[in-house]
Amino acid sequence: MATDKQTGSPPPSGGGETTRDAAFVEMHRDPRFVELKRRLYVFVFPMSLAFLAWYLLYVLMSAFARDLMGTVLFGTVNVALVFGVLQFVTTFGIAVLYTFYARRRLDGLATELRAELPTTLEEDHR
Amino acid sequence: MMLAQEAAGEGGRLVTLILFGLMVAATLGITVWASRNTRTATDFHSGGRGFSPLQNGLAIGSDYMSAASFLGIAGIIALFGYDGFLYSIGFLVAWLVALLLVAELLRNSGRYTMGDVLSYRMRQRPVRTAAAVSTVVVSIFYLLAQMVGAGALIALLLGIQPGETFLGMSAEVAKIVGIVVVGLLMTTYVTLGGMKGTTWVQIVKAVILMSGAALLTLLTLSVYGFNLGALMNDAAGASEAGAAFLEPGLRFGVEVAGDPVQTMWNKLDLISLGLALVLGTAGLPHILIRFYTVPDSQSARKSVNWGIGIIGAFYLMTLVLGFGAAALVGHQAIRDQNPAGNTAAPQLAQTVGETVGGPIAGSVLLALIASAAFAAILSTVAGLVIASSSSLAHDFYNSVLRGGKASGLEEVRVARITAMAIGTVAVVLAVFAQGLNVAFLVALAFAVAASANLPTLLLSLFWKRFNTAGALAGIYGGLIGAVGLVFFSPVVSGSENALIPGADFAWFPIANPALVSVPLGLLCAVVGTLTSKERDFDQFARLQVRALTGAGAEKAADH
Repeated sequence: MATDKQTGSPPPSGGGETTRDAAFVEMHRDPRFVELKRRLYVFVFPMSLAFLAWYLLYVLMSAFARDLMGTVLFGTVNVALVFGVLQFVTTFGIAVLYTFYARRRLDGLATELRAELPTTLEEDHR
Repeated sequence: MMLAQEAAGEGGRLVTLILFGLMVAATLGITVWASRNTRTATDFHSGGRGFSPLQNGLAIGSDYMSAASFLGIAGIIALFGYDGFLYSIGFLVAWLVALLLVAELLRNSGRYTMGDVLSYRMRQRPVRTAAAVSTVVVSIFYLLAQMVGAGALIALLLGIQPGETFLGMSAEVAKIVGIVVVGLLMTTYVTLGGMKGTTWVQIVKAVILMSGAALLTLLTLSVYGFNLGALMNDAAGASEAGAAFLEPGLRFGVEVAGDPVQTMWNKLDLISLGLALVLGTAGLPHILIRFYTVPDSQSARKSVNWGIGIIGAFYLMTLVLGFGAAALVGHQAIRDQNPAGNTAAPQLAQTVGETVGGPIAGSVLLALIASAAFAAILSTVAGLVIASSSSLAHDFYNSVLRGGKASGLEEVRVARITAMAIGTVAVVLAVFAQGLNVAFLVALAFAVAASANLPTLLLSLFWKRFNTAGALAGIYGGLIGAVGLVFFSPVVSGSENALIPGADFAWFPIANPALVSVPLGLLCAVVGTLTSKERDFDQFARLQVRALTGAGAEKAADH
C-alpha cells in the first residue's frame, strides 16, 4: 500500500536540474543507450511499414482487384480467403518474431541500463 | 420468428433470464470484493498494476470483443459473407501497432492515462485538457453506440418482439429498461470496483464468451462433419449472392451499376474504414490504460500477445459462426429477426442446439450465447466508463484544476463521481438516441483515435522536436477533422439511412473520414510544432530513457 505516496501528477518544479534528472539526460547520450534505441528502431519501424503496406495491399485488392480476389484456387477456397487468412498468419508471426527479438536484443540491455539509473525521477514535469 | 419463446415456449426465456441474473450476481459479487481492495489511486485507475499477462490479455480481448463486434461481425458475415471477415482482419492487424510502437513505451513512461504520456514533454495544462477532451469524446462515442445497441440487443436476446409485452412491458419500454439496467450496472462496477473490479468482470466475460463461441463453433462444424469447405459451400448456396458471398464487395465498397462515381466513393470509403480500423486501436484510451494494469513493460508485451491470440482465435470462430448462420438459419429468418443481422449468432445457437440435441438443447444453447453477449455488453461499457472517468479525474481535475496537488484519495473520490456522471449522461443520451441510427459511432471513435490520438502519441515518443503547440494542433486538428467530416457526410444527412433523414448538407462523399482526417491530424501536429519555438530536448531525453529502459517506471502496488 505504501507505494502510492506520490499519487497524482507531480507538482511543477521550478525547472531546476537535479542530479537524478541529469542522470537520465546523460544516459540518453550513452553509446549503450544509443545502441538500444537503434536496435528497437531497426526492428519496429521497418516492420510497421511492412505490415501496414501488406495490409493496405489487401484492402486495395479487396476494393479494386475483385476478379483476382474471387479466383477459386480449390474447392470453395478463393484468393480472397487465402489472402485474409495470410493476414492472420503474418500478424501472429510478427508478434512472435518481435517477442523473440525483444527478448534477445532489447531486454538484457534495457535491464543493464536501468540498473545504473535512479529508481525514481525527481519531479520532472514542468 | 425463430427465437426462444416460440420454439421452446416461455421456458427458454426463463433459462435466459436466470443466466442473465446469475451473471449480474457474479459480477456484482466480484465488484464488492474488488471494492474492499481498492484504496489508492493506483488501485482505482490501474488495478494495483498486479494483473498477470494472461489476465490482462483476457481483459484486452474483453474490451475489444464488444457485443457489437461479436454479434455485429457474425451478423455481417452471415448476411454479406466475406466482407465481415475483412472487418475483423483490420481489427486484428491493428494490434501490431499497439505491440510494436505503443504498449511497452507507454507502460514505462505513463502512470494512469494516455494524457500522462502525451503531456510528459509538454506544458501540462493545455495538453492534459486536450488529452481529456479527446479521451472523453472517443469513449462517449463508443459508449453511446454500445448503449443504444444494448437496449435493442437485450430485447432481442430475450425474444421480445414489437407489439408484444414482457412482464407488462412493451418492446419499446423493455429497450429503455435495458439501457437503464446496463447503465446502472456499469456505473456500479466502476464506482465501487475501479479498475480491479472492471478487469475481473472483463476476465470473466472473456472466458464465458470464448467458451460459448468455441462450443458453438465446434457444434456447428460437427453438423458438417468438420468439413469447413462443405459449410462454406452451403452458406454460399443458401445466400442470395452465390459465389460472390465468398468474395469481397457485398457490404463494403459496393459497385453501383451505371454509376462509376458512386462506385469510386464506395471503394474509397472501404479503404478509409480499413485505415481507421488498423490505426485506431492503438489510440483508443480504454485500450491504452489496460497496459498500466500489469507490473512492467515485458508483461505489457506478453499481455498484447495473449490479446492477439485470443482476439485472432475469436475472429476465426466468428467466421465459422457467420457462415453457419447463413447456411443453417438462412438469410430470410435472420433478416426477419433483425435486419442488421445482430441475432445471427443466437439464432444459430438455437438451430444447432436443436439439430444436435432437440428443442431443450436448443433453448439452453440459445440462453448460453445470449448471456455471453449480455456479458460482452456489460464489460465493454465498464471499460469505457473507467477510461473517461480516470482521464477526467487525473488529467483534468488533478493536473489542470488543482495543478497536480490533489491527493490520491481526492482523485479517487473525483473519479468515482465522474464515473457516476458519465454513466448518467450515457444513459440519458442513449435513451434519446435509441431511435437513431448510431452504428457509425464505433467507426467514428476509431477514426478519432487514429487521427487525434495515435499521431500525437507516436510523435511524443519518437520526434525530438515535437512540442506543446504541435500536440494541441494534432489532437484538436485530428478530432475536429474526423468529427467535422462525418458531420458533413451522408451518415448525418442527405441519404436514406442518415441520422437526420430530412436534411441535406452533406458535401463530404464518404462515411468514414480516416482517409482524410488521419493525414490531416498528422499535418496539424507537424505544422503546429514548427510554428512554435518551444523545444525541450532534455525532457525528450528523459522520456525516451524512461520509455526504453523502464527506469523510473511505476511499480506494482505491494499488497
